[in-house]
Amino acid sequence: MNTVLVIQSLISGIMMGSVYALLGVGFSLTWGVMKVIHISHAAFGLLGAFLAYTLLKAWGLDPILSLGVSVPLLFILACVIYRFLIAPITKAKEVIVASMIVTFGIAIILENVMLLIWSPDPRLLTTSYTSKVLILGPLYFQYPRLAGFLMSAVGVLVIHLFLKKTYTGKAVRAAWQQREAAQLYGVNLKRISMITFGLAVASAGAGGVGMAFLYSFEPHAHNIWLIYLFLVVIVGGVGNVIGAALAGLIIGVITGLSLAFLPYQWVNLLTFGLLMVILVIRPQGLFKGEV
Amino acid sequence: MDSIGKKSTGFLVVGLILVAALAVFPWLGPPVYFISLLFTVFLYVVLASSWNLIGGFAGYLSFGHVAFFGIGAYATGMMMKGLGLSPFWTILSSVPAGIIAALVAVIIGYPCLRLRGPYFAVITFCFAFVVDLGVKNLDILGGPEGLWLKSMDLPIHMIRSIMFEVMLVIMILTILLGVWISKSRFGAGLMAIKEDEEVAQTMAINAPKLKIQAFALSAFFPGMAGGIYAYYLTYIHPDIVFDVMISILIVLMALFGGGGTWLGPIIGAVVLTLVNEGLSTFVKAELARIIYGGLFIGVIIFMPNGIMEFFKRGHREETG
Repeated sequence: MNTVLVIQSLISGIMMGSVYALLGVGFSLTWGVMKVIHISHAAFGLLGAFLAYTLLKAWGLDPILSLGVSVPLLFILACVIYRFLIAPITKAKEVIVASMIVTFGIAIILENVMLLIWSPDPRLLTTSYTSKVLILGPLYFQYPRLAGFLMSAVGVLVIHLFLKKTYTGKAVRAAWQQREAAQLYGVNLKRISMITFGLAVASAGAGGVGMAFLYSFEPHAHNIWLIYLFLVVIVGGVGNVIGAALAGLIIGVITGLSLAFLPYQWVNLLTFGLLMVILVIRPQGLFKGEV
Repeated sequence: MDSIGKKSTGFLVVGLILVAALAVFPWLGPPVYFISLLFTVFLYVVLASSWNLIGGFAGYLSFGHVAFFGIGAYATGMMMKGLGLSPFWTILSSVPAGIIAALVAVIIGYPCLRLRGPYFAVITFCFAFVVDLGVKNLDILGGPEGLWLKSMDLPIHMIRSIMFEVMLVIMILTILLGVWISKSRFGAGLMAIKEDEEVAQTMAINAPKLKIQAFALSAFFPGMAGGIYAYYLTYIHPDIVFDVMISILIVLMALFGGGGTWLGPIIGAVVLTLVNEGLSTFVKAELARIIYGGLFIGVIIFMPNGIMEFFKRGHREETG
């Protein structure tokens, strides 16, 4: 076996994994804090990717800079959706099922709106640095992947610090761990849930841009992305930010290594098979921990 | 007691008249479109009623039931191609196709049914994806090109009518099973599991065994229906027979009608299939799907406990 190839695959795996982590963190939070399994999370990520694509085509705006536009936009959109579609079902008898079906409905709507606006053609984020490569000895780093990696690392770190350091973030964690107690201490659950949902969707938009750096995308792509989300949450543990980050990296490395040695179409199958095995053995996730 | 007896006799009479009317319908020379429409309705009644056995009665919400449908479709397709079956035997081959689907359900149910609540939903959801990807990657199953089947050498009206009758039979069998289970000890055991699995265990209910049995049964009929559907379409492709949309639709239909009763999924399947067909006939495909997505949301938000409960509640509010 070729050592350079293995190291190279490890590196590209870590880069991919960081993007999975950013895409998955918000999904994990909504599930953990709100008990909502947000099926349209990946579709919002895809919307972020398409927004970046359009901003790049129209104004030549760099995909990472375009987050300055798309992230607030997605945050507001998510808050509106939370208020009118998610909040009413959090009181239902079966929140999980209700949330899965309602958000599946949202995913269908988003997918078809994207089909109408952007057509089913596969797209690529082609920037000035798309084909540029950084070469360090025998190893090489593609610039778009580096960009995606840095963006994702910063994104996950920001979410982590937000939860640990800010008052609102602490309230989110409190709401997750001790719902009743948090309410007694004056935590406004509705407001906290709305912020959590908004943040999650906004971070999905950024994660979607990261995915667009890695792969071509079209309006149906969110279905496959969704399985990656489940992987991140199940491996990392529901509601666990650090767990999600680690899970993303593990999945990325597994994907990276298997991509080097397996035909492409078998890689997804292997990863998803792994998901089922982990679910059966350890549904609570591989890592112990909290938000 | 007397009134219950009267009520079920009434149901029986209405049911028999309905079945007889449906059975003669295709031979009265209606346009093929209506035969196909009713075929689709029957198909979804089968899927939703079967799902209800594990989802509605036992409370184990399978979000990947399309897998069994697709497995049945491919099983029949492969049997027909591999063994060169005649039309008659192809239709009968949907029985072993159903058995294969049920066997798969037993194999994956054994580990998966230990998971509860959202985890069961997630693992079944992913299972359907895994099967879909697996089929796409296997060249002997036609891979991403799909599988063509030879149709019968008959006029289209005749073919559709035969398929219609076959699906009608499968639907009646599924409904009868649902009715029987809702009144049997087996069904009572499943409902006890839904209520509280630990308590059910202490009441000498063998929960793991009951769950596996219910799961296998709930996979058998979709497998059969898949086999018939494959022969009906004469073309199977993973994107058609493993479409996630079908999985979710089944859940929604059962919940829309009200899970946990045998009648609920039938109402849900009939109403939602007709709405879907109506939409895709009159509106552009994307727009139809957008409206349909909105319907998913609306159903859950406005009637979280199903349409039957919705009307009952409305009635109670009026009278009380």
